[in-house]
Amino acid sequence: MSAELKVEHLRKVFSVGRPAIDDVSFRATAGEIVVLLGPSGCGKTTTLRCVAGLETPTSGEIAIGREAVSVPARGVLVPPRLRNIGMVFQSYAVWPHMTVRQNVTYPLRQRRVPRAEAGRKVDEVLALVGLSEYAERPVVSLSGGQMQRVALARSLVYQPQLLLLDEPLSNLDAKLRLRLRDDLRRIIKQTGVTALYVTHDQSEAVVLGDRIGVMRDGKLLQIAPPNEIYNRPADMFVANFTGASNALPGRLLARNGEFGTVETGGGNRLTAWLPPGVAAGSEVNVALRPENIRLGVQAAAEPNHFTARVTGQRYQGTQTIYELATLGGRLEALELGTNVRYPVGSDVEILLPPELCWAYSAQEAAPME
Amino acid sequence: MAADSTALGADIEPLTGSYEASQRSARLRAAGRWLWSAGLLVILGFLVVYPVSMLLLGALTNTNPVVDGFATFNLSLENFVTVLANPNVHLALINSLIACGGGTALAVVIGLGFSWIVVRTNTPCKGFIAAVSLVPLFVPPLVAAVAWSILASPKSGLLNTLLAGLGIDWRFDVYSMPGMIVIFGVYYAPYVYMFTASALRNMDPALEEAAEISGATALSTLLTVTFPLIAPAIISGMLLSFIVMLGIYGIPAVLGTPGDIPVLTTYIFKLTAWSPPLYSTAAAVAVILMTVTGFLVWLQHRVVSARSYITVAGKAFRPAVMNLGRWRYFTLGLAIVYLVIVVVLPTLALIVAAFRKFLFIRTMASLFDARQYSLIHFERLFDNPLALRSIVNTIEVGLITAVIGGILSFAIGYTIHRTRLSGRKSIDVISTLPVAIPGLVIGVAYLWAWIGLPGGLYGTIWILALAFVARFMPDTIKALSTSLLQIHRELEEAAWICGTRMLGTIRMIVLPLARPGVIAAMTLLFVLAIRELGSSLFLYTSETMVMAVLLLDYYEGGNVGITAAFSLVQTILLGVLIGFAHVLSRGGTDTGVGKAG
Repeated sequence: MSAELKVEHLRKVFSVGRPAIDDVSFRATAGEIVVLLGPSGCGKTTTLRCVAGLETPTSGEIAIGREAVSVPARGVLVPPRLRNIGMVFQSYAVWPHMTVRQNVTYPLRQRRVPRAEAGRKVDEVLALVGLSEYAERPVVSLSGGQMQRVALARSLVYQPQLLLLDEPLSNLDAKLRLRLRDDLRRIIKQTGVTALYVTHDQSEAVVLGDRIGVMRDGKLLQIAPPNEIYNRPADMFVANFTGASNALPGRLLARNGEFGTVETGGGNRLTAWLPPGVAAGSEVNVALRPENIRLGVQAAAEPNHFTARVTGQRYQGTQTIYELATLGGRLEALELGTNVRYPVGSDVEILLPPELCWAYSAQEAAPME
Repeated sequence: MAADSTALGADIEPLTGSYEASQRSARLRAAGRWLWSAGLLVILGFLVVYPVSMLLLGALTNTNPVVDGFATFNLSLENFVTVLANPNVHLALINSLIACGGGTALAVVIGLGFSWIVVRTNTPCKGFIAAVSLVPLFVPPLVAAVAWSILASPKSGLLNTLLAGLGIDWRFDVYSMPGMIVIFGVYYAPYVYMFTASALRNMDPALEEAAEISGATALSTLLTVTFPLIAPAIISGMLLSFIVMLGIYGIPAVLGTPGDIPVLTTYIFKLTAWSPPLYSTAAAVAVILMTVTGFLVWLQHRVVSARSYITVAGKAFRPAVMNLGRWRYFTLGLAIVYLVIVVVLPTLALIVAAFRKFLFIRTMASLFDARQYSLIHFERLFDNPLALRSIVNTIEVGLITAVIGGILSFAIGYTIHRTRLSGRKSIDVISTLPVAIPGLVIGVAYLWAWIGLPGGLYGTIWILALAFVARFMPDTIKALSTSLLQIHRELEEAAWICGTRMLGTIRMIVLPLARPGVIAAMTLLFVLAIRELGSSLFLYTSETMVMAVLLLDYYEGGNVGITAAFSLVQTILLGVLIGFAHVLSRGGTDTGVGKAG
């Protein structure tokens, strides 16, 4: 029922400007949830719309299951309605002139499913999304979160082989977003459908995705399981976009397998993980997440143990962000807990775990604007 | 702090007064507010309520106010019942419904078609098509009808001459029910277009994409999603065009009279033109027309105010555009054909008829024979002192209407939207009433209201101007309200806080900001007043003859050349005015400071 999605060398060029999608290839195995993550204008929605058949790619190939659905080179372009896919839109796109049940029954009516069977399927899927009591309501009387559940039910009721979700949570308010986010993964996994999910919100991507693909300027930079994206980002952009907001400039002195020694300002030496291709002697930027800096650790024997001066603090209730001057630069460190432990002006010992310090070649494009 | 206040406020007297003085001025202001509301209500009563009441009274009597005076006012339902049972009234009503119903159906096809072409396809020159779709709004219906009678009258129509020249046996006949329906449909399509184009433009394309993904074909999407979603817009444009057609006099007078197809409006006028004039019968038929219109206006209001599906997300969408391939030249061709039908052919016909000594054209070659052309019709037109007087009268009436109507509408609009004066609800309701009263009915109502009063308004150009002010008040207030509502309330409140009084605020803040809107509304009034035929018919005398009425006179007198020449004069006058208004409204958008917060 659920099918593999294969996207190969996909390109989409609009009439002006750089390509919206620039040679993107990835696969989603049957039943997998793949999330495309990136800032607005990175091409993630255009990719999704190409898969849906709402947009015509310039070149490349898209296959759903065993069927090639978009192959411009061969003139293959299966219309959306024959792709057997479901889609959830950012604006919900539930039909305001129909009730909840009419909305959800619509795809079954188009498929000429007998009335009794259709009724049963609609009841089932409404129960799945938690809207059983709302079936006969006009859809405009529902809240945004409920409308999006209707949209989800409508796109699942005919058991499509692939589900596409285009920023389905971004029109909802924060609290609803968290609830529906958790429900979405449960529901998708329960139906076992393959899903392609587009978002600009990294926390959504981590919770929902089996794998996350990070996009920028039409290119797919890295596609990997969430913990790999968070612990081994492929480049400075991925590190930065997923929250590694610290960057220390330095020079790579020596490489030793996956790790290397970086000389930073003030002559300090730092051990950091190196992606392939960074040569000794080159200028690097060391990226580091604020959460990964350990404060007040007295273990001088460990590598990457330094002293920092607290130059500022921002108390946020359940956590505190410290601004630190160290290694000839500035770092932000985050510590959980309601206590403020280090006053401004004091010195604090810090430990930067080597496997969580990532040194990227400085020639690479600068982090996000 | 103390140092600050001395530095800033050393020489400035604070705006305070004694408690007693402020109490006194508060009482004065309360009285002023009461007077203001009462004054507006009196004016509206005079302009709207009194004439309409007189019309209703007139329908319920069988005496003639001119002959018998008001002393023998015989109130009874009898007259009204007789009128309702009159087969001629039935015929006129049925003809009206057929002509307007058919015209509306055609208007929906054309209007919906063009809005789809403009919003949803990749047809070239879409801006041009959008403009063309609105052009008929500027064409006076009487002029359009005259031009089309020149083109397609069964015997001497230019198009029929052309067909004969080509050896084709078929003939156009615009003096027929189908002819009337086509002219109605073609010239009133913009009402449908305006509503449906904006509805299509504001629809989230994802709604249709969702249907497509759900497995619906393009046709099925159109029928189950697109049309139901814009149905309120379609229905509302449909009702509006029906209402307008129902109240039009010029087109059925020109096209229906030769073929003896009376409709309600032409029938009402015929009643007053008989000798002795049947004023009370006319009033009764006018009440019927007003009731039908009122019902439709109410219906349209309900459709518009019912929950609209369109503005769900309230953001700007980029509508999905359909690639028509080679068919896009076909859709462009449709727009060009439409332009030819509504503008090019009629204009050519008027020009040929106005400059040609004799309209009878035997062969195509004689059409291009320069010797056949002269200025004789214009000379004869301007030799007639009545023609010159009608032009002067028309401009005078237009100016009075524009100034009085503009000021009154501004006062009413401001009172309704920006004050909390008591009585503003009634002011709102009464000033909107004329929407449901066709121009012709206003004419009959004013006739009833003033004809019997000695030394009154009847026979002056003021009665025309006041009738026009009343008739176009809803449109003017609506146009003005838009520009009033764009001025952010805080701009006024800031002026109050600074110590300016209400009237000062209006003078120094509101008027300057609303000026482009006010000027545009006044120009609109001027244009409408110049075109207006229906209400003028009952209110003019030979001293107060206006262009539209004289034009119809010339037409009915059978002098096509002078009619065409006079139509051209009126069209040029209108064109200049509309161009002037366009330039003014352009200037308005440049000074958009502080609008729409």
